[in-house]
Amino acid sequence: MFKVTRRGFMVGCSTAIATMAGGLTYTAFGSANDEPNHDILVVVFLRGGMDGLSVVMPIDGQDRGYYEANRERLAVPASGDNAALRLNSLFGLHPGAAPLFDLYQDKKLAIIHAAGLTSDTRSHFDAMQYIELGTPDSKSSAKGWLTRHLETMGGLPNEVIVPVMATGGGQPTSLQGSREAISLTSPDDFSFSGNWRWRDMQRQALRQMYSGDSSWLHAAGQQTLDAVDVIEYANPGDYTPENGADYPNNGFGRGLQTVAQIIKMQLGLRVATVDFGGWDTHQSQGEGGTGYFSSHLSDLARGLNALMTDLSNSNGTDHTKRLTVVVQSEFGRSFRENASRGTDHGHGNVMFVLGGAVNGGSVMGNWPGLGPDQLYDRRDLAITTDYRRVLSEIMIRRFGNPNLGIVFPGYSDYQPLGIVRGGDIPPNYSDEPVDATPIPDPGGTIPGGTTPTPTPTVTPPENMDKRIYLPQVNR
Amino acid sequence: MTQETSEVLTKDHQRSVSRRKLLRNAGAVVAITAAGAVTRPRIIEGQDATPDALAPAMRSARRQIAAVDAAAAPDLPPLEVIVFNRMAFGPRPGDLDAFRRLGADDQSRLQSYVNQQLNPAAIDDSACDNILARQGFTTLNKSLTQLWTEHAVADGISWEDRQRPYRETEKATFLRAVYSKRQLNEVLADFWHNHFNVYGDDRWASPVWVHYDRDVIRGNMLGNFRTMLGMVAKSPAMLYYLDNESNTSAGPNENFAREIFELHTMGAENYLGVVSDRSQVPVDDEGRPIGYIDKDVYQATECFTGWRVNDETGQFYFDEAEHSRYEKLVLGVSIDDFLGEQDGEIVMDLLANHPGTAHYIAGKLCRRLISDSPPESIVQAAADVFYAQRNAPDQLKQVVRTILLSDEFRQTWGEKVKRPLEYAVSVLRASNADFEPNDRFRWSYSGMAQNLFRWHPPDGYPDVKEAWTGTMSILQRWRHCNYLIDWKYEDGPMKDQLRLPIETQMPASKRTPNEIVDFWSQFVLGRALPPAERQPVLDFIAQGRNPNFELTDEMIQERLRYMVALIFMSPSFLWR
Repeated sequence: MFKVTRRGFMVGCSTAIATMAGGLTYTAFGSANDEPNHDILVVVFLRGGMDGLSVVMPIDGQDRGYYEANRERLAVPASGDNAALRLNSLFGLHPGAAPLFDLYQDKKLAIIHAAGLTSDTRSHFDAMQYIELGTPDSKSSAKGWLTRHLETMGGLPNEVIVPVMATGGGQPTSLQGSREAISLTSPDDFSFSGNWRWRDMQRQALRQMYSGDSSWLHAAGQQTLDAVDVIEYANPGDYTPENGADYPNNGFGRGLQTVAQIIKMQLGLRVATVDFGGWDTHQSQGEGGTGYFSSHLSDLARGLNALMTDLSNSNGTDHTKRLTVVVQSEFGRSFRENASRGTDHGHGNVMFVLGGAVNGGSVMGNWPGLGPDQLYDRRDLAITTDYRRVLSEIMIRRFGNPNLGIVFPGYSDYQPLGIVRGGDIPPNYSDEPVDATPIPDPGGTIPGGTTPTPTPTVTPPENMDKRIYLPQVNR
Repeated sequence: MTQETSEVLTKDHQRSVSRRKLLRNAGAVVAITAAGAVTRPRIIEGQDATPDALAPAMRSARRQIAAVDAAAAPDLPPLEVIVFNRMAFGPRPGDLDAFRRLGADDQSRLQSYVNQQLNPAAIDDSACDNILARQGFTTLNKSLTQLWTEHAVADGISWEDRQRPYRETEKATFLRAVYSKRQLNEVLADFWHNHFNVYGDDRWASPVWVHYDRDVIRGNMLGNFRTMLGMVAKSPAMLYYLDNESNTSAGPNENFAREIFELHTMGAENYLGVVSDRSQVPVDDEGRPIGYIDKDVYQATECFTGWRVNDETGQFYFDEAEHSRYEKLVLGVSIDDFLGEQDGEIVMDLLANHPGTAHYIAGKLCRRLISDSPPESIVQAAADVFYAQRNAPDQLKQVVRTILLSDEFRQTWGEKVKRPLEYAVSVLRASNADFEPNDRFRWSYSGMAQNLFRWHPPDGYPDVKEAWTGTMSILQRWRHCNYLIDWKYEDGPMKDQLRLPIETQMPASKRTPNEIVDFWSQFVLGRALPPAERQPVLDFIAQGRNPNFELTDEMIQERLRYMVALIFMSPSFLWR
């Protein structure tokens, strides 16, 4: 088995590639031994404050009455045309989210309601920062929660080449301070481009220029050059989703597709983020479960379903077994609709967790009710499940990372809701990290889980000998 | 509900004011604890000073990757380099020399240049005006009502006509950034557009974009903040963007009211959160609440009800029938019933005159003009001027002058990175390009994700390096440079004209690699490249030859522009 280390890959010499040329297959590039067992967390952030009460709403009982009274025009019907899809005796799902309903019925989607950030803020920007830094009511952390999770989760051997990525042009606050995260819109676009005759020499020169110091800018430049080498070497080519997966044709759909592509490339991905904006629906949300919100939600549902479908069978490998996707937004919206047929900034919201190890098919959490006295500040859905409770469970059960004291400082209320399967280990609330157990019990706690055999599907580019930075091969 | 269904909300689920107060009062402690906790495991960065024994247990081998030394900062360049990279979109050939001729020493040169730039009308900008005139723009001189009637509500108007005022403003903005001698104006216009962000490429914003840019933003950016705030609030672009045009007494829409507090005036730094008891809000020496709470937002929402756009003229009008008539309480001030349109004006007076607003706006301006984390000394100095001059017609000019003439401005370098707009424009300026903001340029530019006037959320494009130093972001700047440096920018007759003019800029006497590199370093950067950056550039052009020996014309011809591209892609070119 070839072992290619990331650092070696970056600084290796061209003689190494001579050894590799011809015989190297794609799986040697990542970490064929370990990778298929490792879990992948994809965090989807819905920017703008998604109206969770339009996604999962009461369909019966007293709360249905409150809902219809407060959502005179926006309410999704409980029966008849365009009716909510029945989740259980109390709740229905917006009909625009039908592709999620399929996952729910397959028990791959869990819904957590009345969840969110408990800080007393209705500011988008405060709320997003608090959530993504993992430090409610404080913005002083230099690192995002995912950065700290990656730093303490263990199980990241050197040969892992792309442990973390952000899709889209930027890097979200949850990955703030990570020097390993690469951001990319699509692997196909992630090339240096430039004049064919000079670009390799330019890249060589840039690497020297950006190695000359250790400032943040030099680090960012090196990181960029590393990422270009990695992606180019992996030779993504044109990507065709598998199993009939149908991604929406927008930035969100492309982001998810990029995640699927990188997962299949087996570069050791552990964490990815995907952003989806356009949820700040102060006006014209769409009435009776139709209109803008419905089609936007439909893109969300289609995209998530496509990701699961695409990864469910890639040359016999079911990547969804090690995939957990979390969907969250900075806050929910006001219970009462406003005069513009929209909703204003609110509080509690719905969260989704989907993936192969999810105890799906149920709505979880404590429902606080929608009566006037049950509302937060007498106007919004209350929060009964701290968003950190959901994320902590995934950290511990799927990643074996007990270091809650570092990832969510000040949070000491670990109580798994049973959203995902996996082993429970005692949480570590201190700021002294303890070793993580990368996989609590690989294979065993994932029902039906077997170690999939990675299938080499991609061969290195033919012009490998023209490259400047080549992997160093250790046998 | 499958689990714990029967549990109902208990008391501790309801927020109480005491919790919020506790958090605010304990803010410093919380912050320190959190920061201490999260920086403790020293893993990748090399910036933590304390040695710790924990590291070996972590993924120690990986920490070599891109180690960051917080102290590693570039040397302070000559003052004129700072000036043209932070109060302009980079120097054009000749700019730095012209600055050096302005006085006997740095202090007097800076004083003189800042004075010039703060009186833009006195600067002869005819060259730029002529370039704009050649574009054949048809909307830039139209009044608001003309824009509205001809581009927003005319019968059967095409989408292209609807967009025209926005598109022409976008092109004119690029052209002015590249060619105008009123560079500070352009920097400030970009700042204020982002401060009062409106998504321009939208049904109701596009037709009136000329008005928003020319009258609302540019018309006030060296004037009085309160005046500007009022014009923003009453502009059709903002009324539609933040939904205030549909805010009524029967159905309040809080969007605008929230953002006027949080983004336009006092800022999140003065937001105390959801507090239900006003008496819990601390007051300052003058009895003013030190910050705002959600109740202020809701009451201000009432104050702004009935603010409308006249369908026929596009002008602001006040619709009494939709206005909430009764008494309101905002920032501790009771606003009498039946004051009508005055309600909103009073709210804006309270906001514009609050010391929190002075500090927030001063801080943002310092972040733009000095550093991502500007020293509190200059922020407070600028805030003091903002507050003291709050009724002056040139309040903002005085604030900007205070910042630009400060020691902090002159002594800070390398704490900001060029964002895509600054990057693209500075490449064009430094290379003396014949610039045409055509579709191909826009296509390549848009890959860098800072399209003009096209940031959806109301907070404007981020102004800190973290947002612009991701791998995709850096790579896209390099790609854009490659795009401009080669000839893909235009096919057809303009092809050669729009290629960055590199070869023609260099005197024929520059023949050796050493001469060539040093010439271009000065020409583009206004200073020598640091050795670690110079050597690779030299190696590139020399291609193994002795750097003191002359290169042939052919060698220079074939590789010079790719060498210059390297300088455009270097750390030295990206610092601000």
